[in-house]
Amino acid sequence: MVNESRSYKVLRYVFLIGAVIFVIVPILPLIFMAFKTGSEYSSTSVLVPPQNWFNFYNFKYAIRVGNLGKALINTGIILAVSLSVQLLFTTMVSYVLHRFEFTGKRVVFTLFLLTMFIPVVTTQTIVFQIIYKLGLVNKMLSVILLYSGVNIVGIFIMLNQLNAIPKELDESALIDGASYFRIYASIILPNMKPACITLLIINGIGYYNDFYIPNLYLRKEVQTFTVALHKFFGNTATPFEIVAAAILLGIVPIMIVFIFLQKHIFYGLAGAVKS
Amino acid sequence: MIHTKGTKLLIVSFLVIPVLHLLVFSYIPIISNIALSFTNYNGVNPPQWVGLKNYQRLFTDPQYLQLFKNCLWYMVVAIPQLIFAFILAVFVNGKFRGINFFKGVLIVPYLLNGVIISTIFIIFFNNSGTLNSILKALGLGSLAQQWLHNLRLVNPAIASISIWRYYGLNFLMFFGGLQAISSELYEAAAIDGCTKWQEIRYISIPSILNILFINVLLSISGSIQVFEIPYIMLNGANGTATPVIQIQQSAFAENRVGFASALSIVVFIIVVLAVGLQRLLDKKESIIDG
Repeated sequence: MVNESRSYKVLRYVFLIGAVIFVIVPILPLIFMAFKTGSEYSSTSVLVPPQNWFNFYNFKYAIRVGNLGKALINTGIILAVSLSVQLLFTTMVSYVLHRFEFTGKRVVFTLFLLTMFIPVVTTQTIVFQIIYKLGLVNKMLSVILLYSGVNIVGIFIMLNQLNAIPKELDESALIDGASYFRIYASIILPNMKPACITLLIINGIGYYNDFYIPNLYLRKEVQTFTVALHKFFGNTATPFEIVAAAILLGIVPIMIVFIFLQKHIFYGLAGAVKS
Repeated sequence: MIHTKGTKLLIVSFLVIPVLHLLVFSYIPIISNIALSFTNYNGVNPPQWVGLKNYQRLFTDPQYLQLFKNCLWYMVVAIPQLIFAFILAVFVNGKFRGINFFKGVLIVPYLLNGVIISTIFIIFFNNSGTLNSILKALGLGSLAQQWLHNLRLVNPAIASISIWRYYGLNFLMFFGGLQAISSELYEAAAIDGCTKWQEIRYISIPSILNILFINVLLSISGSIQVFEIPYIMLNGANGTATPVIQIQQSAFAENRVGFASALSIVVFIIVVLAVGLQRLLDKKESIIDG
């Protein structure tokens, strides 16, 4: 690396600290608000910190009224099921596409590749009718079904990883009498762990935060966390400091995951973007 | 590899469900959409052919042209967004004290969902909200506005939220690109006595020009698909509706499925152009590399 001049180093910190302020300033009033009492909220500026940082009334209220706990569990179930199914199918498809030659291989790959031209938002008028005919509207299975599909980003991540697993491993197992399924299950899958983690992180964050799909299919009793937050927020009878507390609660799970997986997330996302 | 009957069975059984899923939830819907966009289908009665009427309506009625104009704001704000993200990536690409803290904080907005971000920015743009309070504190109270109710300012205001929300993604992409530059290049530059500025100008920028272009196209394809922020913050009111909000409105509230299909197809074509260009560029690059 070229030596960084003093002025460059100073400029770097000035710019980065500026960027941190840019990120924090919009969030700060939300944090303040969540700890304020109703009268404090209406009488003080949003820039003023709360008098009592231990006022948890808003949080308790939000949990009790907002249906948020139940919604968070629903999101958890949807994520667990759809991510497992998606992961399984993505590794299966990638294994077949990487290790075998067969007629129609190009067609199958192209079919997956071309889906990146078809944004979800342009197909839902029809998909809704399909889900409706299947009787799945307002059932968790609708969202699970839509999330479980194999996408091309996942295939790319897996193919990259498969490149790194030597074919000799497969072949020696084959000679030892293992079936292809056995090879997939006991050689390929265990060696795909890093790619699987990357895919889980990317789609886990994406699905946890998704609003568009659950807002279309789960509008009644069964809600995901984003839909419940939106309902809560759209109800004008709810005092805004309570909404702020609910939102803050919504940030907590993703921040916990983030703190534990920071390295993975950073390199996973940057790496996925590269591939 | 040896091909036996078992191999074929494995290939078919591993592919059949994912491919079926793909056909049912992507290909059949987009093809039906193309067909229905030429009809007056309302979701109940059998569709009747109306030719190009839906498209004509879309491109002549000012109410619908406005939807696309709104998207332009989201493309405009992508410019400062990309510049900001690029400068960040250059600064973070190095070794310095606090690097992990900065990296951590900088991608936080990218991890938040649309409802959370909408709430944050309702507080931000409200009459007695964050922005107006800051303006008053700085003695610029005369600039304070009803940001979300001023029909001339509301679209640029909410479009600019995208900068805050998505710069993290661009930053990650640029950072990934910078990390991929071979260290030999940097070493050669150091031996030749380059300054940091020359290094950025002659190594960093040319190396990630391709990624920059991909980001521009991603922003275009993202801008045409904007939904969450104007929908959650304003329910598309005050002239903030976007094509995707209108698709949902037409298809599910007004039962104008044919019209919604036509609008979907227009969005689809714009995405195809943007993503297609991006893939083309990627291909060119990989041929050069190979």
